[in-house]
Amino acid sequence: MDITIDDDQMMLRDTALSFAQKALTPAAIRALEATEHRFDTKIWRQMAEMGWAGAAFPEEYGGSGTGLLELALIVEALGQAALPSPIFSTVVEAGLLLLDAGSPPQRQTYLPRIATGDAILTTAIAEPAGGLAPGGIRTRITPVGNGFTVNGTKLFVRDAGVAEAIICLGRSGEGESDLTLLMVPRDAPGLKLRRLQAAGGEALWEAIFDGVTVDADALVGEPGDAWPHVARLLLRGAALKSAELVGVGQASLDLTLNYAKTRVQFERPIGSFQAVHHHCAEMYRDLEVSRLLAWQAAASLGDGLAGDRETAMAKAKTSEAMTALTRTAHQIHGAIAFYRDYPLELYYHRAIAAQAAYGDAGHHRRALARMLREDIDRFRGDSSHDLPVHYV
Amino acid sequence: MDLKLTADEAEFRDEVRAFLQRELTPEVWQAHRDPSEQGMWTVDFTKAFRRKLGAAGYIGMGWPKEYGGGGRSRIYQAIFWDEMEYHRAPGLDRAITYVPNAIMALGSEAQKAEFLPRISSGELSWFVGYSEPEAGSDLASVKTRAVEDGDHFVITGQKAFSSDAHMADYGWVMTRSEPGSLKHRGLSMFIVDMKSPGITVTQYPTLAGWTHHAVHFDQVRVPRSMLVGEVHQGWKVVMGAIDFERAALSSPGLVGYQFDRLLAWCLQDRDGGRLLDDPLVQDELVRLAIEAEGAKVMNYWLASLHAKGLRPQHETSLALLVKRETARRMDVAGLEMLGPLAPLRTGSPWAPLAGEVEVEYRDHLYFQFAAGGFDITRNVVATRGLGLPR
Repeated sequence: MDITIDDDQMMLRDTALSFAQKALTPAAIRALEATEHRFDTKIWRQMAEMGWAGAAFPEEYGGSGTGLLELALIVEALGQAALPSPIFSTVVEAGLLLLDAGSPPQRQTYLPRIATGDAILTTAIAEPAGGLAPGGIRTRITPVGNGFTVNGTKLFVRDAGVAEAIICLGRSGEGESDLTLLMVPRDAPGLKLRRLQAAGGEALWEAIFDGVTVDADALVGEPGDAWPHVARLLLRGAALKSAELVGVGQASLDLTLNYAKTRVQFERPIGSFQAVHHHCAEMYRDLEVSRLLAWQAAASLGDGLAGDRETAMAKAKTSEAMTALTRTAHQIHGAIAFYRDYPLELYYHRAIAAQAAYGDAGHHRRALARMLREDIDRFRGDSSHDLPVHYV
Repeated sequence: MDLKLTADEAEFRDEVRAFLQRELTPEVWQAHRDPSEQGMWTVDFTKAFRRKLGAAGYIGMGWPKEYGGGGRSRIYQAIFWDEMEYHRAPGLDRAITYVPNAIMALGSEAQKAEFLPRISSGELSWFVGYSEPEAGSDLASVKTRAVEDGDHFVITGQKAFSSDAHMADYGWVMTRSEPGSLKHRGLSMFIVDMKSPGITVTQYPTLAGWTHHAVHFDQVRVPRSMLVGEVHQGWKVVMGAIDFERAALSSPGLVGYQFDRLLAWCLQDRDGGRLLDDPLVQDELVRLAIEAEGAKVMNYWLASLHAKGLRPQHETSLALLVKRETARRMDVAGLEMLGPLAPLRTGSPWAPLAGEVEVEYRDHLYFQFAAGGFDITRNVVATRGLGLPR
């Protein structure tokens, strides 16, 4: 057992952080957030050149063949720097979904171009009725001629406005999980996009599929068999959003410590007051626990273990603890951080978005409660003891 | 990062589990459990059990080979502590965690030769004499005096809140050796033979039901050879070895056991159905499981850092805080899940879970103030860990 990251992983995180912190000033990030697509294509290409877009792809697809933990460390660094990028839409969602479910030609067509930063792709899973469980999917996929027609409304589609294609989940039969994935070009007739005005650093869209028609080769995976792939996508998303939340927490704590050490009131730095000591110690405690749970989640998914228990624990913990951390950070800063030109606001917004993405804390606690009811051994995890009996 | 135990680590864990289950049978439990002792076991059984730990090679297994240790990594040490705590075994205390590591790090060659073999065989019990009536959170304000007298020091004063003093063979005692010195300067550390003339041990009953002790020193003569480290440099000795104790205390075994016990309770069939079928109970169990997982990864993270030869410092305080706060949450959740039965004590008709939850709810109060209480630990983390000004 070794619950640490190794030297290569540490160097990767440090490199990513150093790049991300220098790439854009907070003012430039705020300016980007006012634009339609919210990220800088040049910066994304530079990140791809450093190997980060393909970090979790095998070498045959232009990747560096490292794992999900490495990707999590990169995402943690991007979260810490509040650097906007299409890493969730293109890599965490579409790229790894294609690696998991795509045909060899689909992988060959897209993965190397994702790895170089040339292709932006995304997925359309969630809907107004839900999307974290198969029952919430209402979008219909109907066979027509040599292909399919798609009708329905999708929400929270990341980077839809610049993606060359959207991998869309729809219902193809009557069974609850009779679901199918189709790759739909963004310029397909009948596809209408509307930008959502949302907190956070990502561009989220509504995508309305109104009689959109695609050929049979648009199928990603087998028809009617999409849910296991989507369930894994959602787990990867949750594990990596946990890592992003850790980055958000680290940056918020760093800003707070810096402020507490330099802000003088009552003729002392406010960081010398015990009330502030205790707040900061608790922020740090929650941050370190969150970090380890997020690493554990990414590592367990990356190792091919089920990882659902670890991921649900990580997302439940980070969603609550890191948003709480940003609130305490503001409390210690006082009024100064309430103004938009102070960088803490970037993290406050990102925590709102990240805690909701891929299942909020309540969703993941419900998933764990279901595991507790239905598969108690899995819930208890490896290495557990026989339940104590001598007095019951 | 490797989340699984290696085959060898898993085998070791199974071996320790089998050892503890073999040694701590229900009959043994019945015969030797003793709620009037801090460790909840009789003194005789605790001492005998510590010798068994020594004979099985568990006490010194993580020590370097040069000190007669097994040279096994801190992962094994963490597994051992974890299982010991889970099984609530006796003897997992300063005599095998703190003192030997302090001696290895800071003792003289003669002290190492004299004490390490006897500690590793499980022969010795120790008390740690830091706290005094006027020196608790503010440890550097100790007043117990050590006066140089030829090749001896003469110790006079009082130590308070002294765990295991009544069963100790030796004391690990911090004194003020430089008259008029302030705070952490002018302190010296001694190993004191508890059979020395001039030592009396007094008793203080606690609200947890067990008896705590204080130690009075009246002109106790201690040979110079029992000075640990340099004279007047005792504070370095205190700080130098404390991370090892915190690593042991931050073991997640206790919270793992607390959780399993509650889970077993919630799985019982009763009128009106199992507690586990109540969604509010499920949510509470899930929240507790997440906290327990946090305590576990934190502890094994520390062990991994130690195993790599790194020396985490304030992180050990953080891990201890996480474990003990989690344990307190388990205590509180336990009371709530026991409902009207919660106040029933061990031995009472209808006492749930043998009354253990009620005992621990009182007993674990000391987590909030002992070995660096919650607030002191937060101060340490904030100043040493985060660099905030005092």
